[in-house]
Amino acid sequence: MDDRIVEFVRGLRAAGVRVSLAESVDAMNAVEALGIAEKNTFRESLRATLVKESDDFAAFDELFPLYFGSSGPVLQSALEDLSGDEQEMLQAALAAMSGRLQQLMDWLTSGEGPTKEELEELARRSGADWADNQREGHWVTRRMLQQMGFAHLEEQIQQLVQKLQEMGMSQEAIEKLLGVVEANREALAEQAARQVGLQIAQQRANRPDDLHGSDLMNKPFNTLTEEEANLLRKEVQRLVTQLRSRAALRRKRGAKGKFDSKGTIRANQRYGGVPLELKFKKKKLKPSLALICDVSTSMRPVAEFMLRLVYELQDQVAKTRSFAFNSDMQEISVTLSGNRAAEAVTAVLYNIPPGYYATDLGNSLNTFFKEWLSAVDGRSTVVIVGDGRNNYNSPRTDLIKTLQRRAKRLIWFNPEHQRQWGTGDSDMFEYAPLCDAVYVVRNLAQLATAVDKLMAGG
Amino acid sequence: MFKDIADVRGRLGRQQYIASEEIGTVVYLAQSLCKPILAEGPAGVGKTELAKAWAAAVGRPLVRLQCYEGLDESKALYEWEYAKQMLYTQLLRDTLQNVLSDVQSLGEAANRLAQEEDVFFSENFLLPRPLLTALMSDEPVVLLIDEIDRADVEFEAFLLEVLSDFQVSVPELGTIHAKHQPMVLLTSNNTRELSEALKRRCLYLYVDYPTHDAELNIVRLKVPDLRPEMAQQAVAIVHQLRNMDLRKLPSISETLDWARALVTLNADSIDEKTLTNTLTVLLKYEADVAKAKRMMGNGGSRYP
Repeated sequence: MDDRIVEFVRGLRAAGVRVSLAESVDAMNAVEALGIAEKNTFRESLRATLVKESDDFAAFDELFPLYFGSSGPVLQSALEDLSGDEQEMLQAALAAMSGRLQQLMDWLTSGEGPTKEELEELARRSGADWADNQREGHWVTRRMLQQMGFAHLEEQIQQLVQKLQEMGMSQEAIEKLLGVVEANREALAEQAARQVGLQIAQQRANRPDDLHGSDLMNKPFNTLTEEEANLLRKEVQRLVTQLRSRAALRRKRGAKGKFDSKGTIRANQRYGGVPLELKFKKKKLKPSLALICDVSTSMRPVAEFMLRLVYELQDQVAKTRSFAFNSDMQEISVTLSGNRAAEAVTAVLYNIPPGYYATDLGNSLNTFFKEWLSAVDGRSTVVIVGDGRNNYNSPRTDLIKTLQRRAKRLIWFNPEHQRQWGTGDSDMFEYAPLCDAVYVVRNLAQLATAVDKLMAGG
Repeated sequence: MFKDIADVRGRLGRQQYIASEEIGTVVYLAQSLCKPILAEGPAGVGKTELAKAWAAAVGRPLVRLQCYEGLDESKALYEWEYAKQMLYTQLLRDTLQNVLSDVQSLGEAANRLAQEEDVFFSENFLLPRPLLTALMSDEPVVLLIDEIDRADVEFEAFLLEVLSDFQVSVPELGTIHAKHQPMVLLTSNNTRELSEALKRRCLYLYVDYPTHDAELNIVRLKVPDLRPEMAQQAVAIVHQLRNMDLRKLPSISETLDWARALVTLNADSIDEKTLTNTLTVLLKYEADVAKAKRMMGNGGSRYP
């Protein structure tokens, strides 16, 4: 059993769940304490010790039955209900079929399905070892069933029935037989699906971890596969968590301020005026952010990432207001704060449909000035995430200029290479000189540097 | 101490806390593996309540530490009682004079005083805050660290020492080991991510909104005066509200408040008027109330 748990942990890790060594030891201890007899208890004891984030429950729920479930429903035997004569008839009818189909019909009627090894072999031949994720599993399962002869099953059953009728088997017996075959067929399909699922999970766990590392850091956002995108999302989260402790550190340093005479006198009243506790004026160094994210058509490929970033930043920095725009500005702080990351990002993208040639930063800024200018004051840093492609609308550089003067700093994150600025409808060259800093953010490495500089500047 | 999972659920049930199988398993594991529990989930689903019921079920005192932004070690762990030290110095002035009466030089006086300084930094003058109380208690306790996500990152790091070794160091006294290992429950409303290190040391429990039947049981248990069919109706409405896109979904505690409100108002049935009048008990945002009213208005026929 211990081996199985270790394999399961490897499977979880391959699916992107972070499980430490200490946690797998905990899992072993928990299983020792509670036993494995009660399946639900076993499941919950593994989950409580291994999975520490509710976002990862889905991965756990997907993998658990593959590793610890039965290999599928058991096949029933059709032979028991048949008399000796009828059994012979069936054997004779089956013997007349061709090799592969005969075996399939044999499995379906006798109730003795393929052995574990046979299933494994079949799954391998259908390409289970090449599949990358569980979604491709459906495809592999279909191929596997085809290999087993499911494609011609209908006609085979027809032929079998015909033959049995010719041999003189009673209608009642035939119908009973068909009922069992039908049930077995579903059971066998289920067995095959589970086998494929398990094999995919195992071979994923065994694959070398080539996705990690600097390659991923330097890959442009819009060329990522889904798997890489998932990894990257985790990476972004880690990045921002690191930032938080840095921000906290700075706040602490900022706490040593000037001597506060009034505060000291007040605090020491209770010691009869003897100054035992000294009070200092605290410098407030809490960062305050206003994030404006472009989710227009040209930004869609990277919008999800950028919104993730916005989400994480808002999660970490208490004083954050977030906005998104396509043709007009909308505040998204509430959507982001009320939901989990994935849902929040989907909700925002859903609420602000792309619409072709609709981007209008000028108009959006105008709305921002009318409605939410109070979100920006001398202490706040404004971050605009966008490509500056304004669809030939007025860029309203005057508003950007005012914004820059009003805010502590104005920073621009642009996912486009500098070469592409100014081409077509890009107004980036007009915006760039008005910002305190512009960062090209095309991959995670650049994003890390940019966010780091953003926080370091307070 | 609990015998098995069924015992956990039974005894929590006697404290009027309906524990799901998952909660039962995790609490039992926490006891047998001696690990803290980290309970996450939306606000008002009974995470804090679990700690209270747990303490009552095992018959142990509950020590509670409420976290907030800016909470630091001195507020969570211990403080020296300056005022008491001052008072004692004043009262003991004569004794001090006796001790120091025969010394010749200032240096000698300082030395002699230094020999006695342990008197002033002893446990007599130590004002234990929740964490130290839990560690120094003569009987084992249940320690509730509430809303850990509100505390700063440094405090989280400091907690790691306490939670893994159950000891703290007070510079003047040395390291204090726990007399009995407390059972620890941390709660988080998930307003921010907690550190990996803290999560690693805990068993993870996600408490979600309960199913319809579970919530109905809770309402029946906590508000027995509400008529069964009304309880059924109330829970159904709450579940419908939870499926809506609201800013703040109604939690169990709000369901219970609402049920009590219905009892107090002596309502015979939940008609549209009662609902509109009491909706503010369930929903805490103006926009949410308006949205819910619109929805109820459209499907009004479904609420006789």
